[in-house]
Amino acid sequence: MIEVTGLTKRFGRTLAVDDLSFTVAPGRITGFLGPNGAGKTTTMRVLLGLDAPTAGRATVHGLPYRELSRPLTRVGALLDATAVQGGRTAEQHLWWLARSNGLPRSRIGGLLGLVGLDHAGGRRIGGFSLGMKQRLGLAAALLGDPEVLVLDEPGNGLDPEGIRWLRGLLKSLAAEGRTVLVSSHLMSEMAVTADQLIVLAGGRLRADAALGELVRPGRSLEEAFMDVIGRSAS
Amino acid sequence: MSVLAAEWIKFRTLRSSWWALGIGVLVSLALTVLGAATVIGRWDPARTSDQAAMGIVVAVYVGVVLAQLPLGMLGTMTIAGEHASGMIDTTFVAMPSRVRVLLAKAAVLGGAAVGASLLISVPGYLFGRFVAAAYRPSLLPAGAWTVIAGGTLMIVVTTLLGLALGALLRNGAVATAVLMAIVLVLPALVVNLPWGEQVSRLLPAYPALQLIEQVPDIMPDWAAFAVLAAWGVLPLLLAAARYAVQARR
Ligand SMILES: Nc1ncnc2c1ncn2[C@@H]1O[C@H](COP(=O)(O)OP(=O)(O)O)[C@@H](O)[C@H]1O
Ligand SMILES: [Mg+2]
Repeated sequence: MIEVTGLTKRFGRTLAVDDLSFTVAPGRITGFLGPNGAGKTTTMRVLLGLDAPTAGRATVHGLPYRELSRPLTRVGALLDATAVQGGRTAEQHLWWLARSNGLPRSRIGGLLGLVGLDHAGGRRIGGFSLGMKQRLGLAAALLGDPEVLVLDEPGNGLDPEGIRWLRGLLKSLAAEGRTVLVSSHLMSEMAVTADQLIVLAGGRLRADAALGELVRPGRSLEEAFMDVIGRSAS
Repeated sequence: MSVLAAEWIKFRTLRSSWWALGIGVLVSLALTVLGAATVIGRWDPARTSDQAAMGIVVAVYVGVVLAQLPLGMLGTMTIAGEHASGMIDTTFVAMPSRVRVLLAKAAVLGGAAVGASLLISVPGYLFGRFVAAAYRPSLLPAGAWTVIAGGTLMIVVTTLLGLALGALLRNGAVATAVLMAIVLVLPALVVNLPWGEQVSRLLPAYPALQLIEQVPDIMPDWAAFAVLAAWGVLPLLLAAARYAVQARR
C-alpha cells in the first residue's frame, strides 16, 4: 500500500509536484502515466526518501520509507537503471545489496535467472546494454521479495520481446497480491499493462481511474490521455 | 553491522581499491627500503641499540608518508564515484541512514589505511633490522611508539579527509585537488609567510611530520596528535551533518 497525501515538491522556482494525492492498492498494476517532466520521477524519489517533500507526505506500509527497517524486504525500487558503478559484476552488485539488508547471497542466482541474466552474472556491469541494466535493476528490486514495487520507466531500453517479458513479470507480481506502481510516458504500453492509471501532468493529478473507465470502444488511451491533460490544463 | 558489511563488499569488489592500495604499498615499500639502506649506511658506528631501533622506525615511516596520496585519493573516489554514477541513490534506498553509510565507509577506509601502513611498516622494519644488524638494534624503544602512532594516524587521517572532501564536493577530481592542497601544497607555501609557523601548527602536515621525527618540534606531541586527529574527524562530521540535513530537506 502506497499513500501520497498533498505532496508538493519544489526545486527552486520549478514546481515539480503540485499538491498530489493518490493511493496505490495491492493486487494490481497501477500505471503512473505522464509526459516527460510531469513529476513522476520526483514523486517516486520522495516516496523512497531520496528527496524530502516541500509539503505533504508519502508513505509505504503506513510509514515514511526511511523509517522502514530492512527496506528492501518491504519495497523494491528501480529508478535510474544506468546509475550503477560499472566496475562490479552483476553478482557483486546484488551481493552488497543483499548484505545491506541481511538477505542471503543464495537468492542472487535465481534472480539473475528470473530476469534473464543467468549468463551475465559474472560480467562487469560497465559492459551491459541499457536493457541488461534494466534487468539487473529489476533483479535488485526483487531481491528482498517485497510486497511493494516502485518502478520508474522499467521498459526503457528493453527490446519488444523484453517489453513483453516485463509485462508478464509485472502481471504475475500483481497477481501474487503485490502493490505495483510503474511509471511510463508511453500510453500504448500502459494501455496493455496497467489495471489502474494515475495520470500526471505539470506535477498535478489529472486522472486516477481504472483503465476501463478511460478507454472505451472508439476512444483509445491516447485520446483519453490527451483529453485528460488538455481538459484539466485549460 | 549490515551497513558495514555491505560497504566492505563494495570496497573490495572494485578493482580501483586494490590498485590504490597496491600502488601505495609497493611504491612506499620500495622507497623505504632504498632510503633505509642509504641512511643506515651513513650511521655513526657509536650508535646505541635504542638509537638504531629508533632510526629504523623513523626511516620506515617516511615510506608511510608517501602512501598517503593514493589512499587519500581512494577516500575521495569511494564516495565521489557513487555520486558521479548516481549509485548513491541505490545505496540510500538500500540503507536510508546516510550518516551510517558515511561512517561505515569511514570504518572500511580507516581499516584499509591501517592495513596499508602495516604492509609498509612491518616489512620495512624487518628489512631495516637486517641492514642494521651490526648495531644490534633493540626491539622498539619507548620513543618509537609515538612515531608508529603518529605515522599510522597520519595515513588514516588523510584517507578520511579524502572521504569527507569527496562527500562534501561530490566530484573526485575537485576533491582530490583540494586534498592535495591541504595535505601538500598549503603546508609547503605557508612556511614562507610571516605567520607561517603558527599556521603550520594547524595544518595536518607539520604535526604529522613532527610526530614521525622529520621536522623540529614546535608543539607538544599531544597537541600534534590532537590537530592531526581533528583533520580526520571534523571534516567527516561536517559531511555527516550535511547528509543528515539533506535527508530532511
Ligand atoms: N533535481 C532537480 N533540480 C531541479 N529541477 C528538477 C530536479 N528534478 C526534477 N526537476 C524538474 O522537475 C520537473 C519534474 O521532473 P521529473 O519528476 O523528472 O518528471 P518525469 O519523471 O515525469 O519526467 C521537471 O520540470 C524537472 O526539470
Ligand atoms: Mg522520469
